[in-house]
Amino acid sequence: MRGAGRLWRSGEPFIWLTGGALALALLLVAGLVGLILVNGLGFFWPKDVVRLALADGTTRTGQIVEREPVPGKAGQFRIKLKVANRDLYGADFQWLEEGQVLRREYPGDAVVIERVEWGPLIGVVKELREGGKPVAAGPAAGWAEMAKRLPEATRIRREIRGIEKGEIGRINFEQEKIRLKLRRLELRGVTAGPEAVRAEGLPRRPSRGEPRGEDRVDALQREMADLQARYTEQEGRLAALRARQTVSVLVAADDGKEKDLPLVQVVNVYFPNAMGVAAKAGHYLGKVWEFVADDPRESNTEGGVFPAIFGTVMMVMIMSLMVTPLGVLAAFYLREYAKQGPFVSLVRIAVNNLAGVPSIVFGVFGVGFFIYFVGGTVDRLLFAEALPTPTFGTGGILWASLTLALLTVPVVIVATEEGLAAIPMGAREASYAVGATKLETTVRVVLPAVMPSILTGLILAMARAAGEVAPLMITGVVKLAPALPLDSFWPFVHLDRKFMHLGFHIYDVGFQSPNVDAARPMVFVTTLLLLAIVVLLNLFAIGLRNRLRRKYAVAAV
Amino acid sequence: MAISTQTLGAGGPATPARPLAASRRRTRRRLLADRAAARLVAGGGVIIIASILAILVVIAGEVYPLFTKPTGSFLGRHAAGGVRAPAAGDSLGVEEYREVAYRITGDGAIEFVTLKEGPVPSPVPVPGLDGASITTVASAGNRGLLLGTSDGRTIPVEMRFDVAFRDGRRSVTPQPEFKEAALLDPARKRPIRRVAFASTGGGAVTIAQVGRRELLVETVVEKRALIGESRTERSVQALTAETEGEITALRLDGRAEDLFVGTSSGQVLRYDLRERETPKLLEAVGVSAAGAPVTALGFLIGDRTLVAGDEGGAVSTWQVIPRPVGGERRLTRVYRFQGHSGPVIAITASKRDKGFATADASGQVQVHYGTSGKTLLSLKAEEGVQLRAIDFAPKADGLLAVDAHGAISHWGVDNAHPEVTLRTVFGKVWYEGYSEPAYVWQSTGGTDDFEAKLSLTPLIYGTLKGTFYALLFAVPLALLAALYVSEFMHPNVKGYVKPVVEIMAALPSVVLGFLAGLWLAPMVERVVPGVFLMPLVLPSCILLALLGWRRLPVALRNRVKPGTEALLLVPVTVLGLWVAFALGGLVEAALLGGSYQTWLLSALGLTYDQRNSLVVGIAMGFAVIPIIFTIAEDSLANVPQHLRAGSLALGATRWQTALRIVLPTASPGIFSAIMIGFGRAVGETMIVLMATGNTPVMDWSIFNGFRALSANIAVELPEAPEGGTLFRVLFLAAFLLFCLTFVVNTAAELVRLRLRRKYRYL
Repeated sequence: MRGAGRLWRSGEPFIWLTGGALALALLLVAGLVGLILVNGLGFFWPKDVVRLALADGTTRTGQIVEREPVPGKAGQFRIKLKVANRDLYGADFQWLEEGQVLRREYPGDAVVIERVEWGPLIGVVKELREGGKPVAAGPAAGWAEMAKRLPEATRIRREIRGIEKGEIGRINFEQEKIRLKLRRLELRGVTAGPEAVRAEGLPRRPSRGEPRGEDRVDALQREMADLQARYTEQEGRLAALRARQTVSVLVAADDGKEKDLPLVQVVNVYFPNAMGVAAKAGHYLGKVWEFVADDPRESNTEGGVFPAIFGTVMMVMIMSLMVTPLGVLAAFYLREYAKQGPFVSLVRIAVNNLAGVPSIVFGVFGVGFFIYFVGGTVDRLLFAEALPTPTFGTGGILWASLTLALLTVPVVIVATEEGLAAIPMGAREASYAVGATKLETTVRVVLPAVMPSILTGLILAMARAAGEVAPLMITGVVKLAPALPLDSFWPFVHLDRKFMHLGFHIYDVGFQSPNVDAARPMVFVTTLLLLAIVVLLNLFAIGLRNRLRRKYAVAAV
Repeated sequence: MAISTQTLGAGGPATPARPLAASRRRTRRRLLADRAAARLVAGGGVIIIASILAILVVIAGEVYPLFTKPTGSFLGRHAAGGVRAPAAGDSLGVEEYREVAYRITGDGAIEFVTLKEGPVPSPVPVPGLDGASITTVASAGNRGLLLGTSDGRTIPVEMRFDVAFRDGRRSVTPQPEFKEAALLDPARKRPIRRVAFASTGGGAVTIAQVGRRELLVETVVEKRALIGESRTERSVQALTAETEGEITALRLDGRAEDLFVGTSSGQVLRYDLRERETPKLLEAVGVSAAGAPVTALGFLIGDRTLVAGDEGGAVSTWQVIPRPVGGERRLTRVYRFQGHSGPVIAITASKRDKGFATADASGQVQVHYGTSGKTLLSLKAEEGVQLRAIDFAPKADGLLAVDAHGAISHWGVDNAHPEVTLRTVFGKVWYEGYSEPAYVWQSTGGTDDFEAKLSLTPLIYGTLKGTFYALLFAVPLALLAALYVSEFMHPNVKGYVKPVVEIMAALPSVVLGFLAGLWLAPMVERVVPGVFLMPLVLPSCILLALLGWRRLPVALRNRVKPGTEALLLVPVTVLGLWVAFALGGLVEAALLGGSYQTWLLSALGLTYDQRNSLVVGIAMGFAVIPIIFTIAEDSLANVPQHLRAGSLALGATRWQTALRIVLPTASPGIFSAIMIGFGRAVGETMIVLMATGNTPVMDWSIFNGFRALSANIAVELPEAPEGGTLFRVLFLAAFLLFCLTFVVNTAAELVRLRLRRKYRYL
């Protein structure tokens, strides 16, 4: 006992307790990252399809997602089965008590079909039909025929999508532009061109000076009619393509339920039970690529997150363009040009504290200043023809980027200032000594030396911006943007457009989605992606900073 | 022209490799560029810093209009037409653009007045009067009016205005639509003194006062038949008010359920009209001091609040609400307003918000607000004018009053945010339908007559609650870990731990929020007793591990570097967590009757929400730990080494040194770490948004959710119309957050700077 008392007095137990606190904190981080990794990485691996024969004589076919003890009943387990086929069964998941399961089998012909709507379809291929008539019957023959015809169906689907997004999108875009031009002329008082005036005997407005817009009205209206004709033509093409899709596949599900699925809706087909590890790995990689490069489907719960990645990257880029010169300028002012005194220290404290101001407050500022004040003014001056529909007077990628630039500018200022402080005075003095002016010293000596610090600050700022969601929610992020902020239509970069963002995608799919259970794996994968981006950026910045410290540590000696 | 290096003046290499040749022009250009750059950097720097500070200004600028005083301006008195006295009651009105106003004269005409320029529409006579006169007018519903005549009839009128745009100009044409008159008193044809009217889905109810105390209740019930035409059944009952004086005012609510009768003895009688055939007196409440006769009654929009004015000039609002004890619904006074010097003759309610105006005969008009209980504005008509009726413009931006001569006085009222005062935002407010004043946040409702409840107090409460639980979890963990890392950890391991913590700090809060809401919340729900046992079980496990460790042979122990115990402790911690959860299950089964949720409800009266403060505490604590850890570790590590050396040399153990020497020296830095952690938790948005139910409740229970200021802004700002009251109140919330965090962070920063100075002297 005396040993224990002595041990207590020595304080060693407390040291172990503090160590325990650290262990717990590290465990939390590791657990969190591990949780996201496990849930995120596993999702795309094709799970085997199991057919369960139940005690009541029915069967259930699906993929086992979870197994947990039944609450209140010791030793009993229940499983969560992803039965998919939402349109047939009403729900994607079913809970089954293991005691009810008589037999499990893994049929080799069980097929998982990913399709354009209603989520995946699980069952067995029964027959392939063309125009409603069976072409091939049975799993093997059906699949053989289906595999033959699938590329054609996929090509048609892509073509339809291409027409809808490409040609028709372009026509709509140009029509909107002409409509706005006409509206602009109308605001100037020009509503009809000379032809209409002559034809309908409208009173010609007494024109002051030259009747500039009037000839253009006719031209524009002709152009509009032209576009309309082109639109009708494309509609015709679409109708023809749609008429060609007569092939469908009949899939048998549990309890005699069947689904006649048009082949054109099929996105991906695989037979998980018949796949080897290599095939599964190939499938996995394909899914990962789809996730990164495709548009979302099914209200964001399936498909890819390409628009969200694109939106995040583009927003971070615009933000970097803004924040780097601003932050560097401010830091140079504070450290190189301003007279050091109480004012500058005060400003420094203010800048430091700005980093601690809640991000949502920046969002509120963005709404009040950028969107309603600046955006509203720009709209009144330059886009009056579109009013009352706001162009810049509503949330958009430009305002979101500017808001985040303001949010992250303290990071760049602080990092740059730190770098400036680390440059030995001697370097500057040597430059002055050879006759360089302050500008030349700054540009040729200080700036190259401080560049890595600026880069560190910038990377940290980018990481912060990529993960920030709250201010974006009120300054222009949407759950589904109809178009990317960068496309092939003049002027190519559309800064007024709303955009998608990975962080907001997580919030939206995880919390606003109608089918949270089915969406959850998707959220985990998105989380993993966001986490990877943020962590990699941070690691990069940390590495850069450590290298710098070592370099200056040597330089100081 | 070439110049030598000497003329440059700034010196150069003692032996130039080649002679420097620079033209004067080039030198001038260099100097100019230098000066320009200096200006640019200084100007740019100042602008950037100013724009950073402009955040505060912009947000404050959006908040400011909330607290500006409402103003009223007299726009003129329009006395078109002859001297024709208006009828009693609500005989005045105006359309929404405030261009054309109307008044109903006693001799049976609707006359119009143009308030801006333009032709005056000609008067419209009320058809079928046959020599009778209009004795009273009651407004009913949106545009409806009910005229009472001197021969016992009621005539419904709908006041419509056709608005047409021609050549960019607006022209307003009145189109009054008269409907079929009803003879209420066929036997005696007594003049109708006052009338009240309500139309509901099932029919219409008209109350007419025909004698001093005599009322007629006319009920029209529409019977819809499945086949054939629907028919209406009409019945009239006589009702005598149980009062000693006479009836002086009459109001019927829009649901035709409660009839309020003001009497000359200062009472309001409340009749229950739910049973149309048998009106029942529910209560008689004295509403005026010293029994002064009630001279005017009115409803606020929604017909839930009754406004009473009496002969002494007092104005008060009343609601039928359940008593705090007893539960019976009684007419209860809510607020007294600033009164008039003479009898209140008219009350008119705003059609937009819970505002209303009262007038006395001498020409004094006052604008009040029902929610806040404040009198906002006092207007005065021209000298010697005897007011008869007043009316709020439909957009609540103007007030009209008609006087005994039939002339209409017109005021513009600028009163954009009447519902916001410091008291309604931070204090308790007595809202409609509440039995007592309360703190409530409920910014939007389904109906037009919804009373916005904009108290920020529940949100501030929620923010502080979340912050408290987050710090409760984070502070001990972060400080202990910082102490370990700075004092006891092996320097080699340190290099790995700190980046991990930095990564932890960089985790996007949306990731933490998502995990907290969708993964942690359902998991914690299963193991709540275990979570509460953890603070006991984990330290015990660690101490047991220490005892076990000391039993191990020294040779084995020496193979572990000192200062790496924490890594050994990771498995122990995992074990501890498992033990805690297992014990929690046992405790739940043995002591809490098998289910902690039912136990909580029965023993403590607490309900359990899945997304609650416990989950937020853990998730937000996770976000705060790295911040507190980093700053605290910095300040601990910066304690001068010779202090430690001195203490150890005097024989103190390393724990004694850490506790008695290092910790006190670094305490200001630790304080500043906690403050900065506090600032971060206060402003955290995504975690509280995703991990709580976002219900603005006010209680400290760890098992309930809350709604925080920040999450509230994120949820409601996209829906709030620009410049509206909600928009500005949300800016006020942001302003509060800004100020709170800025003050806290500045305090922390100053403490840290002082600490740094202190170290320099040590």
